[in-house]
Amino acid sequence: MIPLFNFNQWIDQNIGTITWEQVESWFVFDIQKPLLFNSALFLGLFLVFYFFYILTQKTHRLRIAYVVAFSLFFYYKSSGIFFLLIIFSSVLDYVIAKLIYEEEDNFYRRFYLVVSLVVNLGLLGYFKYTNFFIDNTNLLFDRNFEFQDIILPVGISFYTFQTLSYTIDVYRKELEPTKSFMDFLFFVSFFPQLVAGPIVRASDFIPQIYKRLNLTKEEFNTALFLIIGGLLKKAVISDYISINFVDRVFDAPNSYTSFENLMASYGYAIQIYCDFSGYSDMAIGLALLMGFWLPPNFRTPYQSTSVTEFWRRWHISLSSWLRDYLYISLGGNRKGKFRTYVNLFLTMLLGGLWHGASWKFVFWGVLHGLALAVERYFGMFIKLPKNYFVRTIQVFLTFHFVAFCWLFFRAKDFHTAFEIMFNIGEMTFNPQQWLIIAQGYQNVFLLIAIGFIWHFLPNNIIKLLQKGFDATPLVGKAIVLAFVYWIVYATASAGPQPFIYFQF
Amino acid sequence: MGNKISYFFQTLAVIFISAFCFLFLKEVLPKRIFSESQSASKNVVVDSVLLEAVALDEKMDSTAQIALDTFKRKKIVFEQIEGIAFPPEEYEQYKGFQFLIPFFEKLYLLETEQKGDIRIAYFGDSMTDGDLIVQDFRSAMQSKYGGKGVGFVSITSESAGSRSSISHHYSGNWKTQSYLNVKRPLKPFGVNGHVFFANDTLSNPWVNYKAGQGVHTSQLNNPTLFYGNSDNQEGELIVKTGKDTIVKKLSPEKLLNTLAISNTALKSFKASFHKADSIPIYGFNFDDGKGVHVDNFSNRGNSGLPISTFNVKLMNEFQERFDYDLIILHYGTNVLNYGSYNYDWYERSMTRVVNHLKACFPGVTVLVISTADKATKYDLEMKTDSAVIPLTMAQRKYAVQSKAGYFNLFEAMGGDGSMTKWVEEEVPALAAKDYTHFNYKGAQKVAGLLYQQIQTGYTQYKEMRKNRKTVPNQAAVDSVSSKTTPSNVQ
Repeated sequence: MIPLFNFNQWIDQNIGTITWEQVESWFVFDIQKPLLFNSALFLGLFLVFYFFYILTQKTHRLRIAYVVAFSLFFYYKSSGIFFLLIIFSSVLDYVIAKLIYEEEDNFYRRFYLVVSLVVNLGLLGYFKYTNFFIDNTNLLFDRNFEFQDIILPVGISFYTFQTLSYTIDVYRKELEPTKSFMDFLFFVSFFPQLVAGPIVRASDFIPQIYKRLNLTKEEFNTALFLIIGGLLKKAVISDYISINFVDRVFDAPNSYTSFENLMASYGYAIQIYCDFSGYSDMAIGLALLMGFWLPPNFRTPYQSTSVTEFWRRWHISLSSWLRDYLYISLGGNRKGKFRTYVNLFLTMLLGGLWHGASWKFVFWGVLHGLALAVERYFGMFIKLPKNYFVRTIQVFLTFHFVAFCWLFFRAKDFHTAFEIMFNIGEMTFNPQQWLIIAQGYQNVFLLIAIGFIWHFLPNNIIKLLQKGFDATPLVGKAIVLAFVYWIVYATASAGPQPFIYFQF
Repeated sequence: MGNKISYFFQTLAVIFISAFCFLFLKEVLPKRIFSESQSASKNVVVDSVLLEAVALDEKMDSTAQIALDTFKRKKIVFEQIEGIAFPPEEYEQYKGFQFLIPFFEKLYLLETEQKGDIRIAYFGDSMTDGDLIVQDFRSAMQSKYGGKGVGFVSITSESAGSRSSISHHYSGNWKTQSYLNVKRPLKPFGVNGHVFFANDTLSNPWVNYKAGQGVHTSQLNNPTLFYGNSDNQEGELIVKTGKDTIVKKLSPEKLLNTLAISNTALKSFKASFHKADSIPIYGFNFDDGKGVHVDNFSNRGNSGLPISTFNVKLMNEFQERFDYDLIILHYGTNVLNYGSYNYDWYERSMTRVVNHLKACFPGVTVLVISTADKATKYDLEMKTDSAVIPLTMAQRKYAVQSKAGYFNLFEAMGGDGSMTKWVEEEVPALAAKDYTHFNYKGAQKVAGLLYQQIQTGYTQYKEMRKNRKTVPNQAAVDSVSSKTTPSNVQ
């Protein structure tokens, strides 16, 4: 038997002495330190959480209550007191959906739906768009209303869309309401997808609540594989290139050469993909480990041959939500050709605004909306031959269009976005200079390259990797996972790269 | 076995084992993947004078350097200048307004009697790149005391593209020598630490200036070329303003020559240099001759040490023209990461720099700005780099020793941990993600803090000037002493 003091000593050496303040910091809200999946704290918490989760797996109510409690705690760690807002929204939507379900009179059904929409979108609007509205009012009417000190609750854009899907599905008679309020709260607050998606449909998720909890071998393997990929994409590639290169160029584009501006634009394209899809993958993996299936959110979107296809592969849970609840509610393609274009355009415009309260997001949405409309229009007349060559050109053009649009998404204002465009426009062919810059930023450029190579890797190779991982024994998997934690840790502890002064 | 044990338990096992393996790997494997070392390329700017000073320091006996700071915890008492002595200062709070009195006096005459004008040279590193900080400081001074124009602008500049106080373009065929990496220039460096040559005979090197957006810099006031001495008598300056083209002869007879392009204010012009090879060209000056003018001499990678290579005779000529009242030295970022926290070598070299400046620009006062806060990652957290405080102390010490004013930018930012706050907590952010450089907003704030400190000193000065009893006969030459008169104050 190992004496206990040895264990304490081991803890001391490897984790350090744990103070009361540290323990407190694990459980108390700190706006600077939201609980991210790629943190050591989350690993520790999840380990403990999962142990009891397994113990309660045979129960329903207890398990649901337990997960809800953990989810609310998880939300509290990122948003503090706003966890009450989730409870409030959930009570309201639960009650309204029940009313709609039980009501026969179409007028009242409609009325309840409108109440739900007004309250949900009203809350979202208040927290997200008040200052944007004030800013525009001041500009338009030359007034001077003061900005409000409003903190945006984390994930409100995501969970609002989730609860809306529930109410609308019940209204459309496509879904039965949950059996209890706790079940509904479980759906809304389910922590893997709470703060950054995927946006889970009520109709996809709620039936799973009532199924017997199960985890198959395939699911187990897929989940771990997704988590590993997600960690590498989010915490290694995305985090490193953003802090050490992309953020800096977007902060002051004129301080950098044309080539650096161009590379920052490419860098951002891979950064946002790795950040977002990596986090989604971790969410999907974690949910899967808990026995819940969440819809895939990204399917290597930069391999798309058109903007239309891009939106079927990028943030799928959002684009399909927008299609089913906004585009179709607007009339979709059932009201004539002209209205179809208008609806497409409006959907993308509002979709743009959903990403952030600023005209640049609207503009980003408009660019994509226009591209969708143009593709739809010309798609009726032009049929391109399908071969490798045409496909490559299509992927190249689509990627560059998307990367171009990202400039407006990422730059802090239009002015900066145009500065970057002009800087890139002034580029001359100077491979010697490019090489020197690439050497200066070798780590960053290496990670950007890895990101893109990974993205364009043929599916077979990914499948082969997955197969290899599946065949690894349990301890081997654990070691691989541990090794990935180390990569994440060693990347995170690398200080920001010092500024490099080039002169040419 | 895998089929019998539920995959939920297997998951638990995997997470548990992986967590423990990680704790083990963390100890065994390196702590960082990506090194922070920079590639040594000739295209990466490095201050060679600094490198030499560091190398020299490493050779010196390090035990001799642990002499304790004799200034510490002793009050600094000032002797009167023109019947005015600022109250004694705690060493830790040293600002040294006393040494700015000649500058304050001129500011006073300008403010009350509209007499004379003020000229400030702001030397800096990448912190003042693209006229950041300086443009806001200039604008604040010009709003309060009058004056128009951006001051002296070089022919080429690595940060011309990011400058908004003047739009500045130039051809790629200039031969540029910088005091950062050239020890013996073909001709002495100008006040901007650079000398440019239009040696290309195939196509005329040119420079193009367009007025910027600032309230006081919306025109190019009295554009004037500054150039040096040469035997070449054939050089011509071709100036294009709008549709007009004027050709002017260059006569590089004196050590420093000027050529007025226009005696009014222009919006923009392009100047090409024809047959002007071997004539040292320094830059153009834009000012309206009234109020306050601030020149920005920023240089990426500069430690401040290269100033010691200024040619006294030529600088005396510049002083003749510009009559600098105040020189601001804003350095430090580039000396933070040299491994050692012992900055005696920097303190010694910079003391020499200030003394050299006083010889170059007789009558000038000097204000030293400390390094800003800079954060480095310790474990997983961004904290104030442990070299920051030792460096601010060295900078304060050389300011005291060389009788210069001192602005502790690190403390003014908020002291320990402030850079992390400026990057992460301030909305909008005030500094860049390298945790070193300010952005546009942060630069405005820094300029405001600097302006504030100067105003505090000036207000105090005016108060004392009003209340002074005796009219001085002779200004005290040595105006610093300490109650215990430390031996190394000279």
